[in-house]
Amino acid sequence: MIRNILYCFRFDAGGMRKALVWEVVHSFLLSAPSGMLLVIIWELFRADPDTTRIWGIVALMGAMFVVQLYVARQAMIRSNVSIYRISTQLRLNIGNKLQRLSMGYYKHRDPGDLASVALQDVANFEQIFGHSIANIVTAIIGTVALSTFLIILDFRLGLTLVAALGIVFPLAYLGQRLVRRYGRQLIAARTQTNARFLEYIQGMRHARAYGMTGRSFRTLEAALDALRIRSIRVEAIPGPMILSAGVILELFFVLMVWMGLYFLSGQTLEIPVFIAFLIVGYRLYEPLKILMVEYGVLSFMNVSLDRIVELMGADEQAAGRNLQPEQFDIRFSDVSFGYHADQLVLKGVSFEARAGQMTAIVGASGSGKTTVLSLMARFWEVTSGKVQIGGINLVDISPEQVYTMISEVFQEVYLFDGSIYDNILIGNPTATAAEVEAAAAKAQLMEFVEELPEGLGTMVGEGGRRLSGGQKQRVSIARALLKDAPIILLDEATSSLDPENEIYVQRAIHELVRNKTVVVIAHRLSTIRNADQILVLGEGQIQEQGMHGELMAARGQYARMWELQAAAGVWKMA
Amino acid sequence: MASPNTKNGILRLLQIAGRRKYQLLLSAILALVHSATALIPYILVYEVIRQLLVPPVDMASLRPLLIGAAVAGLVSYGFLYLAGILSHIAAFNILYELRRESSERLGRLPTGALERYDSGTLKKILVDDVERIEGFIAHQIPDFFKGLTLPLVTVGYLFYVDWRLAAVSMAPLLFLGVWFPYVFSRPRTKQLMKLFHSSNESMNAGIVEYLRALPVMKIFGQSADSFEKYSGTVRAYEKMSVQWLRESAPTWAVFMSFMSNALLPILILGTWLYLSQGLGLGTFFLFLILGVGYIKPVFALGNMGMEISLINRGVQRLDEVLAHPSLPVEEPQGEMEDASVAFRGVHFSYVPGQKVLEDVGFEVRRGTMTALVGPSGSGKSTIAQLTARYWDIQAGEITIGGRDIRSFTPESLMDQVAYVFQDNFMFHLDIYENIRMGMDKTPEEVEAAARAAQCHDFISELPRGYHTVYGAAGTHLSGGEKQRIQLARAILKDPPILILDEATAFSDPENEYLIQRAIGNLIEHKTTIIIAHRLYTIMNADQIVVLDKGKIAGKGRHDDLLVHTPLYARMWEAHTQTQSFSIR
Repeated sequence: MIRNILYCFRFDAGGMRKALVWEVVHSFLLSAPSGMLLVIIWELFRADPDTTRIWGIVALMGAMFVVQLYVARQAMIRSNVSIYRISTQLRLNIGNKLQRLSMGYYKHRDPGDLASVALQDVANFEQIFGHSIANIVTAIIGTVALSTFLIILDFRLGLTLVAALGIVFPLAYLGQRLVRRYGRQLIAARTQTNARFLEYIQGMRHARAYGMTGRSFRTLEAALDALRIRSIRVEAIPGPMILSAGVILELFFVLMVWMGLYFLSGQTLEIPVFIAFLIVGYRLYEPLKILMVEYGVLSFMNVSLDRIVELMGADEQAAGRNLQPEQFDIRFSDVSFGYHADQLVLKGVSFEARAGQMTAIVGASGSGKTTVLSLMARFWEVTSGKVQIGGINLVDISPEQVYTMISEVFQEVYLFDGSIYDNILIGNPTATAAEVEAAAAKAQLMEFVEELPEGLGTMVGEGGRRLSGGQKQRVSIARALLKDAPIILLDEATSSLDPENEIYVQRAIHELVRNKTVVVIAHRLSTIRNADQILVLGEGQIQEQGMHGELMAARGQYARMWELQAAAGVWKMA
Repeated sequence: MASPNTKNGILRLLQIAGRRKYQLLLSAILALVHSATALIPYILVYEVIRQLLVPPVDMASLRPLLIGAAVAGLVSYGFLYLAGILSHIAAFNILYELRRESSERLGRLPTGALERYDSGTLKKILVDDVERIEGFIAHQIPDFFKGLTLPLVTVGYLFYVDWRLAAVSMAPLLFLGVWFPYVFSRPRTKQLMKLFHSSNESMNAGIVEYLRALPVMKIFGQSADSFEKYSGTVRAYEKMSVQWLRESAPTWAVFMSFMSNALLPILILGTWLYLSQGLGLGTFFLFLILGVGYIKPVFALGNMGMEISLINRGVQRLDEVLAHPSLPVEEPQGEMEDASVAFRGVHFSYVPGQKVLEDVGFEVRRGTMTALVGPSGSGKSTIAQLTARYWDIQAGEITIGGRDIRSFTPESLMDQVAYVFQDNFMFHLDIYENIRMGMDKTPEEVEAAARAAQCHDFISELPRGYHTVYGAAGTHLSGGEKQRIQLARAILKDPPILILDEATAFSDPENEYLIQRAIGNLIEHKTTIIIAHRLYTIMNADQIVVLDKGKIAGKGRHDDLLVHTPLYARMWEAHTQTQSFSIR
């Protein structure tokens, strides 16, 4: 746990160090009144109390109260500001880290799960630690100071009180282990709930169309139920451990009183010393009791920290020798790949997409077309063989470098909730307004943007839901145009547009692919008949390869697909 | 100790807690027993000190107290545990019910109302904000009982012993009792609270969105730092939190300082009374020991004010979302005659003032196919969605079988209509359940539907066939495959009316022919509304409705429209032209 906390402190070491100094000072001020109270009680016990001394101490307490007003404020502000700063850094680092991980990492993890690392887990740190830091410091300082003081006063009674810690700490440790175990399960349940809930909202239209809402949406309900049961478990199971630590403390106090009375009757204990133990001894345990509760909460927080540290430590895609290609031809050499080790999607695929040329990939659903494109963008690492750009193996090019060379017009366009302008700008954040407008114009966006009251400033809604499919498509082409990368990957880009828009998009694509290395997945074979090379994929292998004329002449699969496409056409009412 | 302005909020919270009234009451009583027994060590200390003042110490009289304190130490924590477990069980059961009921309610809200929120925001409200209620039910209600009843008893006793010291011991309490409500009811506090919640929501939305768009972020080299919605909302949240912290820190500093120095007034008055007024030392010690002990739980109440406001704000957000009225269902007027669909004089806008549909009227006879065509944004998808009553129209009427769709319950309307959407959403369920969608169908029927939708072959090749869970490691379906799963759902449902939105967008040439046959089977004998982009697929439709900027530009069959509707003729020409498109 300490290692995890220190990991977080690194993000604001200076601020946290200063904050801790303030917390320590504050904790002294917090325990000071008990000490002074003791001195006053001693004084009062004397046959002839020194009134000046008593009033002096009272005045000192008053002064310290005023100082505390300031110190408490400083300590609270400084430690929490530091914690907020750390949380921000954690959130940003988590986001950056995720962006650097391979696609494989997030395809294997629920996006809702990742969101809860950045949101829930960091919030756990922020809230729990922000709340506990003062108590922890006070408990540690207070316990050490008071127990030293008591042992010096009378080692027999002092050690008796301290001996309780020998039992309490192992109990607390066991409790913490239990919190950790059940806390992990709880966090998993929360993550499930988040993921299922997001799914429920995002798939609502579909669920509703089949009456699968509310209670009949069983995965959400199961997640909610698991959350309920695991939340109760985290409270119920470690509870007895932590509370029995409290029992031990109570019993040791009673034991100490009994021993004190015994020593007193044996004349081996002074009355003022015993009184000190009665007044201060019970307070020795106060911070510990608080700490006991905090410890459970902190263990829970630690589960979140584990998740953060684990994510931050996940393997990133290496940059290898970090080379920069000068040319942009793409070569696949005997590439095999599977999303799962035992299930190859591509088996020994070799081809070359020459710079400035257009390569088209055709084939049935699931034949691996999209996978080929993903490998070019280094979304995944190949299982065997190699992919090269400009003669350099992709493993020797940093993923960031790969992305700067590639524009992809995705199968499913994702726009984020911002203006159309911002969504285009993401293609090149340093572009000027004029450049963005030019890209928008080239992508034939202006035709509908001009009619919007706010033009390019129109907000598109989450996922771009306020735009039609065709409009989103054009925004994504404008993005790619603005980026102006030497390699263009087109994936089913032209399939869902209405005819008039399609002409616009076709023009936009003409603009986009000019002088570029183009790899395209096309469904309408007619659009790629002029390709420099057509690859026919099937069963994860290249079945046929050549130009349109050659493939037609060969009368193989490609030719058969042409015929099928010609036969498709009008929908028949049976 | 909350201000009068938040009273409504507390009543609302109590109403929520009231779902487990008796359990919570029992928990409160147990908590009370715990606090009462926890007083025994204090009494022991007081008694010992009192005897030390007038030695010799009488061990015999102290023995019962020693034993009592030991026993109290043993049982008191047992009561605390029971109280805690009871209140937590109550709390988590209530949260479970709240979330379950709220998500059920969300399922009945009009789609329009729902789409006003980001999914990240809704998640925050239903998952995170609701979680905070646990604090109120499991901690604050028992704390409140402890914080109020026990001190009352102690204070009463102290007043009985010495009213002057008792009165002065309450000074810090009185001060905070006046000051805290003042601070919490300041408009500024409420404003800060609101800002805190909204910046937290923006951050949720920003982060969820960034994660959803990660592939895009990756390829455009956008990191969390450079993606404004991520870094901006995260930083804004920090700024807001720090702002709030700075403004509330003085209050807390006062609170902390008062708490640790709570015995100062007793000390001052007590010393004076002892030195010059003949106050008994025993009484003085009693106050030094007990006079502070009772104050702590009361202070804990002060803590409550802030937390309750925070919880409250979350509950308000929840209530806000749930307050959207569900679509009203009118009295059924007559029976449904057949599976025909008609729009009459329909006006509709999502946002007042921005007309999306204007005076749209057309009829789709039973068992016929009507195609909607028109440029992007002309209102095709809106018409499709209105047919399924995702929104209510502002004027005109939409009827199914002659009956206004507003007179159907959502369930009975959905029984009539199957909707194949533009986006292919897959649930984190196995493929079988993704097709079955909770419908009452046998495995044989599911498989038959999958076969008809050309899904069976690729499903069989998945690692666990129909029982492969979508989204689990290694399950990848292409857009076309997901689309066919959607078709299988509709085929399985087999309703009289069918709405297809861009149904062939992702199909590939190999399967397009087969898919079209599947669609052909699906739409046989059904009333069908199709939003089509590739005009040749709908050339044979019984009726084509041409839309332009929300109005009907023409309707009829292909040949008539070519002659009479210039927009259609233009689109047809464009369409023919796109057919000859070559990327370069």
